[in-house]
Amino acid sequence: MANIKEILKTAAATLAAFVLYSLLGKIDPSLLLVLNTFSLVVIFFSMLKGELFGVLLGALCGLLQDSFSLGVFGVAGLSKTLLGFAAGYVSRKMNVFPFFRNFIFIFILATGELAVWAFLYTLVFSKNLITGNALIFFQPLATAVLGSLIFALARRLKTPQT
Amino acid sequence: MPFSLRERKNVIVMAVLVFFNLFLISIQVPLGSEHTLFNKIIFSVFSPVQRAVVSAAAAVSETWNGFFGLRGARVENQKLKEDIFFLRQENLLLLDKLKFLQGDKMIQDNLAAIRKTVLSARVIGVDASNYYKSIVINRGGADGVKANMAVCDKYGNLVGRVIEPVALKEAKVQLITDEDSGVSVISGTDKVVGLLSGDSRGGCRIRYVVTTTLGGQEGEDLFTTGYDKLFPPGIRVGKITVIKTDGSFFKTIQVQPFFSYGDLDQVAVLKERFEDLF
Repeated sequence: MANIKEILKTAAATLAAFVLYSLLGKIDPSLLLVLNTFSLVVIFFSMLKGELFGVLLGALCGLLQDSFSLGVFGVAGLSKTLLGFAAGYVSRKMNVFPFFRNFIFIFILATGELAVWAFLYTLVFSKNLITGNALIFFQPLATAVLGSLIFALARRLKTPQT
Repeated sequence: MPFSLRERKNVIVMAVLVFFNLFLISIQVPLGSEHTLFNKIIFSVFSPVQRAVVSAAAAVSETWNGFFGLRGARVENQKLKEDIFFLRQENLLLLDKLKFLQGDKMIQDNLAAIRKTVLSARVIGVDASNYYKSIVINRGGADGVKANMAVCDKYGNLVGRVIEPVALKEAKVQLITDEDSGVSVISGTDKVVGLLSGDSRGGCRIRYVVTTTLGGQEGEDLFTTGYDKLFPPGIRVGKITVIKTDGSFFKTIQVQPFFSYGDLDQVAVLKERFEDLF
């Protein structure tokens, strides 16, 4: 029962990421370069649930992202699978939940994911990556800021009020 | 440090998923822009969600604008009345010119046929990896949309063509700014013919125009030729911005497309090829 609840929570978060992705694209497509909503969901749940959950969610979110882009199917799937594993594995080995450490950790994860995705994208397509006037390089920072804030908010909501 | 049994299991699952993704990449690469069944299924499942979200956002935005935009409506109304006046005049002049060429009956038949072939659509999504490559529209197979239909913006400028996957109520459109797109174009003044493709950065290039080709000027407008059997001839495409010869066999011709990315909220799908009508 608890498992079903967790899966439903994750599905709702993935759906929320997809909704946010659709809205950002509608407001201004360049916002999609700054914030990867799917990465945020993968990092958040992988850190909470571990690497097994992370790889499965990463693959799902990555393939969802791939299906809405005109490119090679599986590029984001692969980078997010690795992201899910790394986030889950490291967060189980060391405490990365205090705010500042959390920020640095998510920043490193998001940078790594972007690097893997960019490498695969340029390798498979043999074309230059669109950076949107270097906006894409702000993606790890935006992910880290939002991610650490979401964790802080989740902690605050969980802590009983005295 | 050796892995525990649980960790080993996790690594195996990750390896399986990594190979699964590599397998997807390897079968997709030779297919090019063709999509796999798996890709089509995911697109068909999630595109209605995207459609619902964007429709809801548009409804909220319209209500908001309707409420607070009343003050500006009077001025806008006046401006629209003036625009309609000039457009009517222009329409009459064009109809007069057309009457010289064709009979009344033929004109009415052709106009009715054109109206039937144009399908208005709203843009509900953009490409997740590079927004200059593709968009998603809220019309699909149920509306008669099929792959390879031309898509124009609300001013009649070429935007791209419908590509697979086409879902029941949604479809993907490859933009002319995509590097893998191709449109046969002709310049308005010097009649230089070439193949236009995108640079995936918002601009386009004309390829395969040899340096010995005469003509072609910066500032010239470009139109579709119809030679590609995809796009009807005569659609406005873009303007030549730079022409260079850098020692290679072909000229470097940069083009600024007429359609503006910021204006792509509504598009028109041309359901039939115009050359079949005229």
